Amino acid sequence: MSDSTQTDPLLELLERQRQTRRHFLGWGAGGLGAFFLNSAMANPAGGLNFARAPARPLSALPPQFAAKAKRVIYLHMGGAPSQLELFDHKPQLTRFDGKACPEAFLKGKRFAFITGVPKLMGTQFPFHQAGKNGTWISDRLPHLERRIDDLCIIKSMKTDQFNHAPAQLLVHTGDSRTGHASLGSWVTYGLGTENQNLPGFIVLISNGGTTANAGKPLWGSGFLPSVYQGVPCRSAAEPILYLDNPRGVSRAERRQVLNAVEEINRSSYKDFGNPETVTRIAQYEMAFRMQLEASDAMNISHEPQKVLERYGAQPGKTSYANNCLVARRLAERGVRFIQLYHWGWDSHGTPTDEGLNVGLVGRCRETDQPTAALLADLKARGLLEDTLVVWGGEFGRTPMMENRGGQEMKYIGRDHHPSAFTIWMAGAGVKAGLSHGETDELGHDVVKDPVEVRDLHATMLYQLGFDHKKLNYPYQGLEQKLTGVKPARIVYEILA
Amino acid sequence: MATTMANDPSTHVRVWDIPIRLFHWSIVVLLLVSWVSADQGFMKVHLWSGLTLLALLLFRIGWGLFGSTTARFSNFLHPPARVIGYLKGMRGGEKHLYAGHNPAGGLMVIFLIAVLLAQVLTGLFSNDSLGFHAPFALWVTEEASNRATNLHGTIFNFILLLIWCHVVAVGFYLFVKGENLVWPMFHGRKHHSQVPAGVNIRFARLSVAFVLLALAAGIAVWVVFQGDYFS
Amino acid sequence: MSAPVYFAGVTVLTLAGITVAMLLRPAFASSVLRFTGLERGPVAAPGSFYSVRVQPLFDARCAGCHGDKMQKAQLGLESFAATMRGGKHGPAIIPGNVRDSKLYARITLPVSDNRAMPPSGKTPLTKNEVEVIQLWITAHASGSLPVSAIKNAPRLVRPVEIREVNYGLVQRQRAPLAATVQQLQRRFPGVIDYEARDSADLEINAFLAGRSFRDAELQALMPLRTRIVRADFSGTAITDASASMLGGMERLRILRLKDTKTGAGSLRAIASLKTLRSVTVAGAAPETAPLRQRGVAVYGDHDGE
Repeated sequence: MSDSTQTDPLLELLERQRQTRRHFLGWGAGGLGAFFLNSAMANPAGGLNFARAPARPLSALPPQFAAKAKRVIYLHMGGAPSQLELFDHKPQLTRFDGKACPEAFLKGKRFAFITGVPKLMGTQFPFHQAGKNGTWISDRLPHLERRIDDLCIIKSMKTDQFNHAPAQLLVHTGDSRTGHASLGSWVTYGLGTENQNLPGFIVLISNGGTTANAGKPLWGSGFLPSVYQGVPCRSAAEPILYLDNPRGVSRAERRQVLNAVEEINRSSYKDFGNPETVTRIAQYEMAFRMQLEASDAMNISHEPQKVLERYGAQPGKTSYANNCLVARRLAERGVRFIQLYHWGWDSHGTPTDEGLNVGLVGRCRETDQPTAALLADLKARGLLEDTLVVWGGEFGRTPMMENRGGQEMKYIGRDHHPSAFTIWMAGAGVKAGLSHGETDELGHDVVKDPVEVRDLHATMLYQLGFDHKKLNYPYQGLEQKLTGVKPARIVYEILA
Repeated sequence: MATTMANDPSTHVRVWDIPIRLFHWSIVVLLLVSWVSADQGFMKVHLWSGLTLLALLLFRIGWGLFGSTTARFSNFLHPPARVIGYLKGMRGGEKHLYAGHNPAGGLMVIFLIAVLLAQVLTGLFSNDSLGFHAPFALWVTEEASNRATNLHGTIFNFILLLIWCHVVAVGFYLFVKGENLVWPMFHGRKHHSQVPAGVNIRFARLSVAFVLLALAAGIAVWVVFQGDYFS
Repeated sequence: MSAPVYFAGVTVLTLAGITVAMLLRPAFASSVLRFTGLERGPVAAPGSFYSVRVQPLFDARCAGCHGDKMQKAQLGLESFAATMRGGKHGPAIIPGNVRDSKLYARITLPVSDNRAMPPSGKTPLTKNEVEVIQLWITAHASGSLPVSAIKNAPRLVRPVEIREVNYGLVQRQRAPLAATVQQLQRRFPGVIDYEARDSADLEINAFLAGRSFRDAELQALMPLRTRIVRADFSGTAITDASASMLGGMERLRILRLKDTKTGAGSLRAIASLKTLRSVTVAGAAPETAPLRQRGVAVYGDHDGE
């Protein structure tokens, strides 16, 4: 491979020279702690020190305690997949299909679109039991079903947001408002990444263009240094936007340009001594290295045909299947946090594409086989035991049929439902073949083992080797944490 | 035996002043209230009865320094040798007369006041683990407060024991020695045959009592404002 | 009245009083019996549901206020005898009767009720823990019923505990090899890391070095062999010549050999590693059977389904 891992002696010298009075008093990268405790594992106050050399902001740091998970692959099903059509089997709901929803379930609740008294609606697809524990699953996920013994299904997720953007922000940044650091940013801040020639936090999007309801803040770094933000990559064409050289510019010419820019930056550093400049120089170098390695990592065309078939991947197109295969390749290459977004699960029943009997069917067909293939592939390569795989949306869907404006809909759909939704996890340290939590017989409220979004985050961070309270960053007078200020509970019942 | 009216000055001598008598019986009532309120969980009542006990105990100490002759500590606090001598003498049938407390009784009084004070003080740092905190409980660590609470419980048992001793002793005087100590604590007068001849008892002015009581009450009020019961 | 008669009378009255108090207050009765050594407390059998599921629950969640050091409301829960004895308000458990068992009532009160147990400020019991206690009371609060006799009890899970770390101790544990580690980290950047901040054990991520990492390079890492717990050589150029070196990593837990030229020799060498938990092999090989038999997870020898 490349010689990318060797460091430039001049940069090293620059680093050592940066300890001037100005930095002592000012806002040097990493702050006061970095200068005195650069090699210490902890600062005197008992917190954790995440300082790194400014030229290597993504260098790997050990976790707080020995961890099962070394990396995360997060599969986000944007729009909120209907748990009642996939995982949460509610025969009683089917019995009451078509009947008016009881008053008790409507009182005090806010709905996105339902008005008046909606009708209850049973599942649109039959359920059956699968796997050695008799886990219930619908007929929409035949491939995933074969891997059901690897999954830990949490049916008691709860959120307090009923609209997409704030709910997605809550799931991915721990707060329903913008400005907070995303899960991937926290993880790369805390652990760095193993492969310094690839971004530590990569985002792959399918079926919805480049933006989500909540947009780029979902993988943004918030108040954390911007180097920890997610890098959206594409599995077709140019993997990382603006990374490739412009047409007509060769790699050697690009090198000359970068050398010139570097000289200017170094001279600026000599004059002003701002360590951010050192980071900037390092980032240009990383981008240059990434041109080769990222393109190679994203390129699935050299995978054996039977692997491509197993995922249903087609080189040259953008698809969830391609993204899953890329995710596996990135995991193998030491990328810390890989996030996939697949949009279109918002089954309100308004346009056909989002109805339960059309849109959901399509989404399942697009994601079922690749997800199952990803799990199998990771397992076969021994990667599943230290990769934490998470699948889910931002909230659930109502047991009632959506009746936008009080009218009956042409296509069948359900409204947003924050009180209960389902996600599953697999891999690193999570108990396989387990179903955790329960909703009531109509699937409306969680009645057993509720899991708040912050509890999920606390558990994920625990699997990655952190006490969620210790992975913090001082900002606006508060030690900011992913899990926020409300108490969060590690869901130890699902840990192996 | 006491066929004459107790407050007949020709046959009875005034020995106990009003503050002393009020103090004694108030303690009895307050101890009962404290016991029942703690047992049944009425912690606010328990707090108030405890604080009143604190004020009264502080008053009694002050009165023991500035009050009537029979109330003063100097009157009934004797060296241990004297107490033992008194008890031995009693066995032998000797009859010594004291206007106020006899040496044994005096020791009991001091003991009771000290233990009650200890009880009130440990109470001030106690908590009931259910959210009720005594005024000073939040000034110390939770562990220290729990230790104080435990001690408060232990001292209570000791108080019960002391009360038993006290009642048995008073009963002994009444049924065996024929000397009624309860009546004088109500009326303030003893039959002159129970009192040494030529005794001179000075009774302090009630205004002194009021000042001391006001001071003691002031301290108790300050204590309660250390808690957050009025927020 | 003479003194002896009087004291006799006092004794009689006192004993009568104590007896009445014992009848009125069972908790007082048990403390008297305990004080006089007359009480024989029942004991739960070692493999009983109580001993295995209920007592540890009490020890973990209640002993702070209802245990050896302190018995709030005179209730102790540190032993079967103490639990069945009850406290100030009488018995805490009515065998077979969940509804009237005061202990159950208190642990199922809403958290906002200030009589709820554990009291506010402490973590309430989880639904599973309450269920365990309920199942036990329903089974007549037995001290002898074995743990297997009660079906459908919620899984026993251990809550996570994140301990405070003595970093000074960790530094001392790292000290013997620290200089070698630093030197090798400079030579192979990114490849050698401590497993965690609170550990002196190491992980080797040689896959980052790719084909430039050969048997000779692995040889250079050998001074660290007793500390290596995780090693990923995927995609490197090591061969079976490194077999004995792999076998020398006596505390290895996870090993990856995918895409390497290792084979049977390496598998034989690692077969005896006591702490090995999972191996990803280079390709299909019959020699994986002994590893599988030992319970080691083996990956990479078939191509996925």
